Amino acid sequence: MKLIPHTRSREVEAWLKREIKEQKARYAEIVREQDALSPKRDKWIAEFLERIQTRGVHVHYDQMRKVRPEEIPVKPKRKFKVVF
Amino acid sequence: MARPHIEPFVDRDVSFKKMTLPGFPKGMQYKMLSMDTDDGSCSMTVAFMPGYKQPPGMSYSEYELFIQSGSIKVGDKVWGPGSYFYVPAGVSLEEMSSPRGATGLLFYNYGEPSFVESDADHSKAERHRFAAVDSYENMQWTSTNFFPATAPGCLVKILRFDPRTQGFTFLYCMTPNFWQDNISYHDCSEEAYHIWGTSWMMQFGDLPTGGYFYRPPYINHGAFASKLGILAIGRTDTQLYNHFHFNPWTNVEENRERAANRILQWKPELYQWINMHGHNHPVDFEYDHGHAHGDAAHHHGDGQVEHKHKKKTRRKK
Repeated sequence: MKLIPHTRSREVEAWLKREIKEQKARYAEIVREQDALSPKRDKWIAEFLERIQTRGVHVHYDQMRKVRPEEIPVKPKRKFKVVF
Repeated sequence: MARPHIEPFVDRDVSFKKMTLPGFPKGMQYKMLSMDTDDGSCSMTVAFMPGYKQPPGMSYSEYELFIQSGSIKVGDKVWGPGSYFYVPAGVSLEEMSSPRGATGLLFYNYGEPSFVESDADHSKAERHRFAAVDSYENMQWTSTNFFPATAPGCLVKILRFDPRTQGFTFLYCMTPNFWQDNISYHDCSEEAYHIWGTSWMMQFGDLPTGGYFYRPPYINHGAFASKLGILAIGRTDTQLYNHFHFNPWTNVEENRERAANRILQWKPELYQWINMHGHNHPVDFEYDHGHAHGDAAHHHGDGQVEHKHKKKTRRKK
């Protein structure tokens, strides 16, 4: 049994409510920070797409293969996000 | 919505709070890392103040405790850094104390934190599942044994494995100058906390000591690198499979659909047996779409994947 059925007290409910509220604020802050990281991330992605054509992409453990130029994905027009 | 995607979060940036939930003794502090908004299960960094004492007691939900620094005493035995406990719901833990204080990580699964003083197990407790191990002294690093595997230099110690869900809790390390050039996602939720060291991921940047993430399924992460190496603790809720690829811009829906398509390729019998409704010919974004009717295995709401279509004859106008 992973959870033994029990009744939550008012104090517990209030504590959960407070923590969930704080978590919402924390999540919003993370989204803000990650949006601000976009220019750096774009650079990292460009470098990654270059490396996988020259050094290769990891397939399994130490096995790598070089990606052909025509396989390189194109950035879609939709908004790009990393936090979901 | 269960737990949101918390990544990255560094607990060094926030202060400890006093644990005020009913039942918990004074002298315990915490930093909330993530919480399930439905059932209250959560992951926390905790500090037991010097002189902390906790009578024998149980929790309504199962929990895991990992000691990072200092030591605790459980019964007559002293447990230092690297000690790991898995305590099933309702199992009474002996008196616990920390004469000089300790810090650790506390994970409550399936329900909110609770403590009920009791020197006996609850009638529904599964005592045989209790586990305690000194992971630093009594376990050795192994390679990951996944296929496909992470790059050389990522090693693990499996602390707990759930045979039913295949979810597991593990220590992992990256050796200095570790790098892995691909993008990964999993069918499981994954969370991790950096006990020591900094690693880098192409999406999120640096994750330093005290860094944490809770990542729901199908979210891209990687490439990966670590200059000086790291030591971390991680957990999954179900089987961890590395869906590797190299498209930085795919989203959760595309990744999930690709994973479903892969199940179709790997386990066609199972896939056909499972009765799915709605959109039942998932697409792998690395391959042709296959949306033309009849190109991909599908059914019409009746679970009959193997069927034939009559060719429609077009009438000439």
